[in-house]
Amino acid sequence: MATTAAMRAQLPARSFVESFSANARRFPEAPALIWRGEPVSYRELNDRALHARAELGKADIGPADIDTEPIGLRCAKSPEAIALILACLMDQRSFLLPTTTLPEHTLQELFLRAGCARVLNVSGSSSGRCSDRLRSFSPDPEAVTFMLTTSGSTGLPKIVPLSEGAVDRFTDWAGAQFELGVGHSVLNFSPLSFDLCLLDIWTTLKHGGCVVLVEPARATNTAYLRDLLLRYDVELVQAVPIFYQLLTQKDRDNTAEFASVRHVIVTGDSIAPGCLAQLPGLFPRARLYNLYGCTETNDSLLHEIDPTQAATGALPLGEPLPGVRALLVNEDGTIRNGPGTGELYVSTPFQTAGYLDPPHQQSRFVAHPDGADALRYFRTGDLVHRHENGSLTLVGRTDFQVKVRGVRTSIEDVERVLGSHPDLAEVAVVAIPDPLAGHLLHAETRRVPGSALNTLTLRQFCVEKLPQTAIPSTFHIADDPLPRTATGKVDRHMIIRFHERRLT
Amino acid sequence: MSHTQTITKFIVDEFLPDVPAESLAADYDLLSGGVIDSLGLLKVIAWLEDRFEIAVEDLEIAPDNFRTVAAMNAFIQNARQAA
Repeated sequence: MATTAAMRAQLPARSFVESFSANARRFPEAPALIWRGEPVSYRELNDRALHARAELGKADIGPADIDTEPIGLRCAKSPEAIALILACLMDQRSFLLPTTTLPEHTLQELFLRAGCARVLNVSGSSSGRCSDRLRSFSPDPEAVTFMLTTSGSTGLPKIVPLSEGAVDRFTDWAGAQFELGVGHSVLNFSPLSFDLCLLDIWTTLKHGGCVVLVEPARATNTAYLRDLLLRYDVELVQAVPIFYQLLTQKDRDNTAEFASVRHVIVTGDSIAPGCLAQLPGLFPRARLYNLYGCTETNDSLLHEIDPTQAATGALPLGEPLPGVRALLVNEDGTIRNGPGTGELYVSTPFQTAGYLDPPHQQSRFVAHPDGADALRYFRTGDLVHRHENGSLTLVGRTDFQVKVRGVRTSIEDVERVLGSHPDLAEVAVVAIPDPLAGHLLHAETRRVPGSALNTLTLRQFCVEKLPQTAIPSTFHIADDPLPRTATGKVDRHMIIRFHERRLT
Repeated sequence: MSHTQTITKFIVDEFLPDVPAESLAADYDLLSGGVIDSLGLLKVIAWLEDRFEIAVEDLEIAPDNFRTVAAMNAFIQNARQAA
């Protein structure tokens, strides 16, 4: 199939909106979504989208230029939310879709920065047909549609605008690569604001498949997840490691095999080898993949996992997707061609033209270090090792970032937020590898003399300032200074050792 | 110890080790207070099942049943009456 995907990459991208509309005409009764046990057909979803589009138009006030201003969407996952996004895509409006679990003031700040004239919640009342008197759609590859947020943990996440063309090219590649088409069911595990949805929701809808939506409130319910996979003959699964951990937990009756699944995608880092080793048994007919990407560039590298060797060592990141360039760059800015470790730079046909806030970009979006091509490269911040045989594996970050439950989290940012608490004199946050979450954060703190600060009040403070995944799982609030190394730096290794000792 | 005290002790031991049990109110919202996240919730449910010998049906793993110590207590009472 890789050849089909490679050939596809040579052709002009097909428009997402045109493809979706064609699906609604050609297969009106085919299921587009499954939500809470009920199918939503292409006809129904298209009607809801047209209705939402008419509502959007009605709310426009005055001169024509107003309706080009971005819209903020505060949408938890639902068919109505998907219809609203479709409406924005049909209208070629740019829309900011931030993670809904961000603190309120962060959301407000993001909407402000993105210049959102309006912020919409899903009303849930859109139904019924409406006449399509709206202006006709004509593809504009440069038009910005999706604006996603990076999962930067604090302060302000960066806004990543994606052009229609970038989304069209990506959804073409993914559809060809994973053989999506009418009658194929795809599980959507991630929240609607995650970049993973570009594959499991938007690629599926482009190709006429059916998206089986996992309700966020039940996303950690193993029996529910198993039931969805079996009941709807899911063929493609893409999820963060926690999903596979839940499915492979031994302590519940774990006899089910998911024979309908043909493609299983793990998204990179920190899936426990023990869990990975169980995947071929759980999905006996599936091809397994490690798919590497970031919000800024979308998927970049793909590795097909040999099921007989699923348990050995770090997972290779794989080969660049069609049209993708990947470089390893040494600390001094020179390109590393042979084996060794360097920062991964990628350039993809699916990438953003840059963050919405230009000041952020200079350090992250760069030209080819040797000027060998005219492409724009994204510095991923991932340290990658190239082995003798040319394969690439992830070794860490150039900054203090880890993934907690699939969300990239900056330890420094969490430290900065905790450090802003008036009662804390010292703060150090460490990441502890965890089989279920990838990493868990532990905060070691010293409070100022006389303070009555405790975990309860500190957690309350965190809720107001940090997204949920960035709130440390454990806190230790002490009155003694933090351990330091001979050079005066906080001794993180010592903190991890103390923490582990307290747990046992 | 009442169920409420037992649950409070578990929550405090597990998530708030430096907090005196009596300062955690039974109606304190543990989810929006950042004490229990969705992974923490799995841990709490496993403990409740084990400690109170109840079976939590998957349908019942709605966060609202476990938002406060009082809600957990009510949930156990119901589950035991139903059994």
